[in-house]
Amino acid sequence: MKQIQYRRRLLIALLLGVAYAGLAYRLVDLQVLRRENLQAEVWTNTHHVFQLEPRRGDILDSRGNMLATSAFVKTVCADPSLLGDHAPEVAHLLAPVLGMNEAELGLRLAPRARQTDAGDTVTNRYVVLKHKVPLDVWQRAKETMTNFPSNIVGRLPTKKEIAFYRALRYSAIFADPVDDQLRSYPNGQLAAHVLGSVGVAEHSDVHGTFINTVGLDGVEAVFDKQLSGTRGWRVTERDGHRRERVELREENVEPRDGLNLVLTIDSVIQGILETALAEANEKEKPLSISGIVMRPKTGEILGFANLPTFDPNHLDHTTDTQRRNRLISDFHEPGSTFKIVVISGALNDNLVHLGDRFNCEMGRFSFAGHTLHDSSPHGELSVSGIIMKSSNIGAAKVGILMQKPRLDQYMRDFGFGAPTGIRLPGETPGLMPHEWTKVSIAQIPMGQGVAVTSIQMTMAMAALANKGVLMRPMLVDRLVDAGGNVVARYPPVTARRVISETAAKDMVEALKTVVGPDGTAVRATLEHYTVAGKTGTAQKVPYSANKWYASFVGFFPADNPEVCIYIAMDEPHGPSHLHQGGQVCAPVFKQVAEKVASYLNVRPDKGIDLPGSEGTNGQGIKTVAYRTP
Amino acid sequence: MMLFPAPKEHQSRLDGLQLAAVLALIAISVAFVYSATAASEAGANLAWHRHTYFRQIIWFSLGLGSAAAVCLIDYHILSRWSLVIYWGSILTLVVVLIPGLGSSHHGAGRWIEFGGIQLQPSEFAKLAFIMAQAHYLSRPVDELRQLRIFWSAIGLMVLPFLLIMKEPDLGSGLVLLPTGITMLYSAGAPGRYLGRLLTIGGLATLLVLADLLFAPPRFQVVKIHDYQKSRLLVYFGLDYASYAGRDITPAERQRLREKQFNASLNVRQSLIAVGSGGLGGKGWRQGQQNGLGFLPQASKHNDFIFSVIAEEKGFIGSVTILTLYAVILFTGIRIAGQARDRLGKLLAVGVVTLLFSHIFINIGMNIRIMPVTGVPLPLLSYGGSSVLCSLIAIGMLQNVHIYRKAY
Repeated sequence: MKQIQYRRRLLIALLLGVAYAGLAYRLVDLQVLRRENLQAEVWTNTHHVFQLEPRRGDILDSRGNMLATSAFVKTVCADPSLLGDHAPEVAHLLAPVLGMNEAELGLRLAPRARQTDAGDTVTNRYVVLKHKVPLDVWQRAKETMTNFPSNIVGRLPTKKEIAFYRALRYSAIFADPVDDQLRSYPNGQLAAHVLGSVGVAEHSDVHGTFINTVGLDGVEAVFDKQLSGTRGWRVTERDGHRRERVELREENVEPRDGLNLVLTIDSVIQGILETALAEANEKEKPLSISGIVMRPKTGEILGFANLPTFDPNHLDHTTDTQRRNRLISDFHEPGSTFKIVVISGALNDNLVHLGDRFNCEMGRFSFAGHTLHDSSPHGELSVSGIIMKSSNIGAAKVGILMQKPRLDQYMRDFGFGAPTGIRLPGETPGLMPHEWTKVSIAQIPMGQGVAVTSIQMTMAMAALANKGVLMRPMLVDRLVDAGGNVVARYPPVTARRVISETAAKDMVEALKTVVGPDGTAVRATLEHYTVAGKTGTAQKVPYSANKWYASFVGFFPADNPEVCIYIAMDEPHGPSHLHQGGQVCAPVFKQVAEKVASYLNVRPDKGIDLPGSEGTNGQGIKTVAYRTP
Repeated sequence: MMLFPAPKEHQSRLDGLQLAAVLALIAISVAFVYSATAASEAGANLAWHRHTYFRQIIWFSLGLGSAAAVCLIDYHILSRWSLVIYWGSILTLVVVLIPGLGSSHHGAGRWIEFGGIQLQPSEFAKLAFIMAQAHYLSRPVDELRQLRIFWSAIGLMVLPFLLIMKEPDLGSGLVLLPTGITMLYSAGAPGRYLGRLLTIGGLATLLVLADLLFAPPRFQVVKIHDYQKSRLLVYFGLDYASYAGRDITPAERQRLREKQFNASLNVRQSLIAVGSGGLGGKGWRQGQQNGLGFLPQASKHNDFIFSVIAEEKGFIGSVTILTLYAVILFTGIRIAGQARDRLGKLLAVGVVTLLFSHIFINIGMNIRIMPVTGVPLPLLSYGGSSVLCSLIAIGMLQNVHIYRKAY
């Protein structure tokens, strides 16, 4: 019997040992063999990476007016599984707050079941209700949910019901933790073709997938990187209730907000230009109308507009036609404005002088099997007269005198055939004649057989105003940070000297006559400023269609130019049946020029008694007091 | 084999090795109860005497005092009172079940208010049961062959078991069974009786489990609480949703899934805590799972104290704990071997089995080889009743040791 009891005790001890070995084995398994996996699990358990969104920089005009700005907004989401059978009521209450269609909202809120790979049925727990919801609207939506009425009447709710309503009120509708931002353009359409627009793009990296705002067009696209800023992050530990433990933060890198972009555009001048274009648009009913206001001395662009245009705040309602930046992405045969190239080149090469006279064949000139025409017959014209009357035959004869290599060289020197380098996307170089026929040398001088962009034409004219030096167009002045410190400057850039100062001076003299009493652009005459400019009336290809491209480009004060203005209309067909640059574009020029001159306080150079010296002092913009006679 | 050595001439009156292990565990317990509760109590601005670790120190003092008191009286004399103690504790178990007299937490009526202190009668009932069972079985071995005696012994075990199950306190109830059966076995009850008992018991358990886990709702004969069932489901890795019937809505299904996730979270988190401790641990009070509250807040200083130790002291720490328990258990078996008579042997075997069952179930649930049941870890877990009973049990072992063979 003793023996049995001893054996039994031994067996008990043995069983104990075996059970102990079981525990020990499990501990070795967990703490030795699997420790790395489980330690990694602790990391994911406790650590959380918050993404910190940088604010996209503002776009300002040269005077600091806001052209584009960003505000943080919420993405409103819902967890349909928490709604129970209240989805229609929630939709009814939230639809007016979020400004959505109730039926559509109800559809989104309805729970959807799907099969997982394992064959289980799960309902969706995340649905986006609306993107880009401003903070105040989100607040109101949250309030609406917090005050969601319970349909339990006349009795106390059960524990389950209390939990259900709590989840419904506080968790069913939520905002995405990563802030989104809304780009807004406070002035609507103003300078739309300069500013461009933004869209959203999905971007994935090791931290997850994010919806980023990206520039699609205009300076928004070109300066996207500078405007976007840099994302920040915070690595921190959270406790079991998903509350952040601030004392355990490991990394906290603030986002770097995007830089503010300061343009050379002046929103007042932009407004003047757009108003004038809109009025002319009413009157002449062209397919499109475009204008540029710039400073010839620096290349700064003050105003830059196309019609039709668009509102970048509502991009989804716009068409390609509206968004097309015709000033840089369309090219066309320029017509007579192009005569400045051949004439200024010939003056520069001393081939001709202003007084040299050319026989203009009374409007019909046969050359290389073609007959060239003038719009009105002229006998002999001086070089200055060819510009003034815009004689095709005269210009052709100067071209023939100059020969192909020099003409080609001058065209390229004036910047044709290459992008001007304006900081906007979609600029085209235009079309240079790739095959010179015999008649080309006579046609190109009068602006046929070559296609240019409006910005090229403007810059070429500005080069004459700027004593023969071609500038790069300047659209962006500087980048500043939130504190107003300048991070980068974009100073004026000289492209090249195209013609000598003397030749430029002569050319300006000739261009002044265009706006004189006998010139083609009498309507561009200003009361207090001498204007130099050139009209253009190009027949659109095919020439038989009787469709016109009318333009006027000029600057003032002629001897010390402050402002150069370009106005162009594609196919004017207003009730007056006018189609010439001097008839339809020159008045627009005049309207813009007068207002811009008074806004910029440009010193007048005629029609008044000027105190001080007679000549200009080269500082024409100074605000010198003057009396009208 | 040194388990049952021949008695030596000059022996100390106490088993020093066991005592040292017990004191070491007490020190560890105070340190880690402090670690487990420091994070949540730091901000609470409690008076020094209201901190959990301090209360634990008080309980240990009381427990050591009770153990000393138990040691002073020869276990033979104590044993005469065993039936009184047994029926007294049965009475307290009944009292707990009477609404208004027992106090309940989380839907389980396990506590009894006693002068501002809450005690768990089920803890004391285990000791009372061991004493009564040892007393009953200490009769001559031949009498145990009588079926009536055998079944009476079984009845002695089943009565407190059923009462504790009724509270409900599944874990505390279950530890009675191995304790009782091991005592029967050790007392020399016929093997075939025990074999039959175990076979029938095993089959019944399987049937009950099968009924609980796999039968459709209306065929479930055994009724248990939702939380108990969910613990079982989690342990067996089964899906809640498949027990809710076919006609539940997707939203309900989703909610069940969430519930299951939350229920299994405790187990998963304690597993992560134990494993992430690695070899050397993260250091005292440095455990993230503990400090940041990923371990179950309400029970990390009692039922999940092992996870805290394992996280903060690693493999070395948990092996140390197991070793200390092994010292207590095997010195306990040695005490059983050296006991003067069958009563002493049975008392010692009962106490050792009870302690071992607690240790195995508790550590097992911390490392997910046992389902979650509210069984405290003797001497380590926070809790007055548990500490008192564990130390009284140790006192009984020492008592048997002190009054071993008289030379």
